[in-house]
Amino acid sequence: MKEEVLRMDRITFREQGATELNHFCLDIDAGEIVGLIPVNDTGLAAMIRLLRQNLPLHYGYVYYRGKLVNHWQDSDLSYNRIGVIESRSGLADDLTVADNVFVLRQGFRKLFIRRKVLNRQLEPFLRETGVALAADAYAKDLSAFPRFITELVKAVVAGCRLIVLMEPASVISDTRLGTLQRILRHYASAGISFLYVSRHYEEARQICTRAAIMVNGQIAKTVSTADTPPETLQCFGVEAYTQMVRRQERTKAVPMGSTPALEMRNLRYGSIRSLNVCVAPGECVVLQDLNNHIISDLIALFSGARKPASGTILTGGRPFAAKRLRDVAVIQQQPTQTMLFPELSYMDNLCFTLDHRIANIWRRSAPQQSIRSELAPMLGEAVFDQPVETLSQQQQYDLVYTRALLQRPRVAVCVQPFMGADVERRMQIWKLIERLLEKGIAVLILAVNLADSLSLADRLIQVLGGAVQAVYEREDFATLPPSAPWHDFWARTEKQARNDP
Amino acid sequence: MLRRFKYLSHITLGFFMAEALIVLALVTCCLLASRQEAWQVLLSVTLALQIALFILLYFWLARPYWRLEWMIGLFLDGYSLTSLDNSNLQLSPVTERLTGYVKNELSANRLLKLSKRQAQYRALQNQINPHFLYNTLESIRSEALVAGLGSVADMTEALAVFFRYTISKVENLVTVEEELQNCETYFRIQQYRFGPRLRLNIQCAPEDKEVIYRCRIPKLTLQPILENGIIHGTEFKIGAGMLTVKLERTAKLLTILVSDDGVGMDEHALSQLNERLDQSGRAFQEDKEDAGGGVALVNVNNRIHLLFGEEYGLHVFSIPMAGTDVRITLPMIQSNRELPSGEVLL
Repeated sequence: MKEEVLRMDRITFREQGATELNHFCLDIDAGEIVGLIPVNDTGLAAMIRLLRQNLPLHYGYVYYRGKLVNHWQDSDLSYNRIGVIESRSGLADDLTVADNVFVLRQGFRKLFIRRKVLNRQLEPFLRETGVALAADAYAKDLSAFPRFITELVKAVVAGCRLIVLMEPASVISDTRLGTLQRILRHYASAGISFLYVSRHYEEARQICTRAAIMVNGQIAKTVSTADTPPETLQCFGVEAYTQMVRRQERTKAVPMGSTPALEMRNLRYGSIRSLNVCVAPGECVVLQDLNNHIISDLIALFSGARKPASGTILTGGRPFAAKRLRDVAVIQQQPTQTMLFPELSYMDNLCFTLDHRIANIWRRSAPQQSIRSELAPMLGEAVFDQPVETLSQQQQYDLVYTRALLQRPRVAVCVQPFMGADVERRMQIWKLIERLLEKGIAVLILAVNLADSLSLADRLIQVLGGAVQAVYEREDFATLPPSAPWHDFWARTEKQARNDP
Repeated sequence: MLRRFKYLSHITLGFFMAEALIVLALVTCCLLASRQEAWQVLLSVTLALQIALFILLYFWLARPYWRLEWMIGLFLDGYSLTSLDNSNLQLSPVTERLTGYVKNELSANRLLKLSKRQAQYRALQNQINPHFLYNTLESIRSEALVAGLGSVADMTEALAVFFRYTISKVENLVTVEEELQNCETYFRIQQYRFGPRLRLNIQCAPEDKEVIYRCRIPKLTLQPILENGIIHGTEFKIGAGMLTVKLERTAKLLTILVSDDGVGMDEHALSQLNERLDQSGRAFQEDKEDAGGGVALVNVNNRIHLLFGEEYGLHVFSIPMAGTDVRITLPMIQSNRELPSGEVLL
């Protein structure tokens, strides 16, 4: 007999006139790890809110631990003891791990905090996870994986029987993902259930028993991960996207023998240990950081904020220095949140990295008019007069990538470009990166997990402990571990190539 | 006196009277008061009374009114047959009588009989004298055996068993075992048409099998869904088709998942079908049973709602070219006495 932990039954949830969840059905049993694969973002945030709090429903029933906690006739706005771990930290930075776990817990009533006692109480929980984590370490000093584990322990200590994990692979490296899976299995065997939200079926398949596919706020189907259903997953909402992946052979060949757009020779800085990477113009290279250590160091180097401890970075065959900063365009992760300035106009946002190409562009209206008339067919005429914060997400992505295009760098460094993007957005980002490549700009994608980067890549470089560990050419992609996104596709492509000489 | 305040009309009248009394008291006091300080005190008291009145107005009048309006809206949208019943507040005594009349017209017993008749009608499509039908089928079977046509005899026998269950078994609730047997009989008949192209797989955890098979569910719950799976799912599929009936239970809930690996349906059709299931009350209110597909599903869903309540019922999951799952949720009951609305069985 199964023990039900969560049942969201025929939920229709409306907010501000928009239907967020539409006949939504999801059930999770005790000790089960269920995957949730949102094809688009519609209703995902609303579902998380509904899990946390019993908000008024248009229709439907929510049962938690076998008890009806919310239904369409009566919603008491109470909170459910369900843990949600997001890619953004939910810990208080200036508190220690033990404080975060115990002191911020609901129902903690003690007036005097005895740190030693808390540390001692935390020890068994940390030992259970098998992760070396100091109980008195401050949350702000933790990297992504220990932070994730702390939040997990916090949810367990708080008595949550269901924990939602929001896209763990977007912040946890491949090597640590295995450890996380082991910990999740351990807790699952103790009866704790998990809802594992992931954009990729291949990732969910590694750990989940079932995966629910969510389209436009409804669960279209729940598939058993023991079966082999990728074909079925590719045949509905993501069809156009799949077709793009299948057509991924880029028509423009990578020019061989020309001066590399970017070269790193014996580069050392921070966690980077003797890194040697070379990217040709118009080539797309994915640099996968297997233990998520070097990405922040690389960003610091490419944005000019830091200089290498030793070794050199060359752009177009010449040393990368302060006066050649515009040779590299860094596109941060989730750029619509980090790279747009609401206090500036659209035109200013678009042109502010153009200073090296057009002198005094801020004071001259003629070049701005020229840029506007040139880009209007591509971006739309109306956007130029719109405040940046009112732009749609699609327009914001267009703005960020067009800025990089106008900058005309030798290399564009994209940090986890597909992170948190739904299918429609992934398609757009794909096209925008392809546009950079078509202009002969080299693209270096810095990634913790591969997500969809592979489908654009000419080469994959895996970095472990700050040094190159493995290099895969496109024809070797089929030899990657099965957890790699689109692995089945690469395997089929490889098989076809062998059968069709 | 307090009983009268279940009507919004009386509450409104009460508020108007209270407001008039406050104003009257204020005017009287103003006329009597001579000093300016007394005036200020009076105005402050009046203001406080007004604020208190408006707060009461919000909680006693505005909020119940919005809630009532929302309930009526849901009822009219077909979401629920019981929402009117559950409302503690009425607009006026006349509207209360009107609600009582509507409730009576849509009584569960009446609707259940109507729904059952529809199910039998759909199964038969003709009003045939059952005894005449069984005797004829027996005769055909005998003739087939004499002529050495074993398959025809088997087919006729299966058909007779199926009709006996569908027409002559009068109970509303049957055991899961009986319902599964009927599914297997129906499947035997279909296999004469589809041959090895069609397979049926019934899955149930061995430790739960005995309890689950003894559970009571509405008659003709599974067969119409299985039929739907064959007609709309596997029939259009190229190659072999598999139908799976998976039974699971928790302490309070029985879940039956009827899956096919057929052509499935797109997101829009799926959403429309689930909307019809959620708004199944509408099928009774507006004679719309032939609008769109899924009539059998709506019928089964209605009968479950009427017998066990709206928190149980059907839900459909589907992806194009990846099959369809129909999930049925029912309470775990093993005798008619456990039924919450037992009168509907009478």
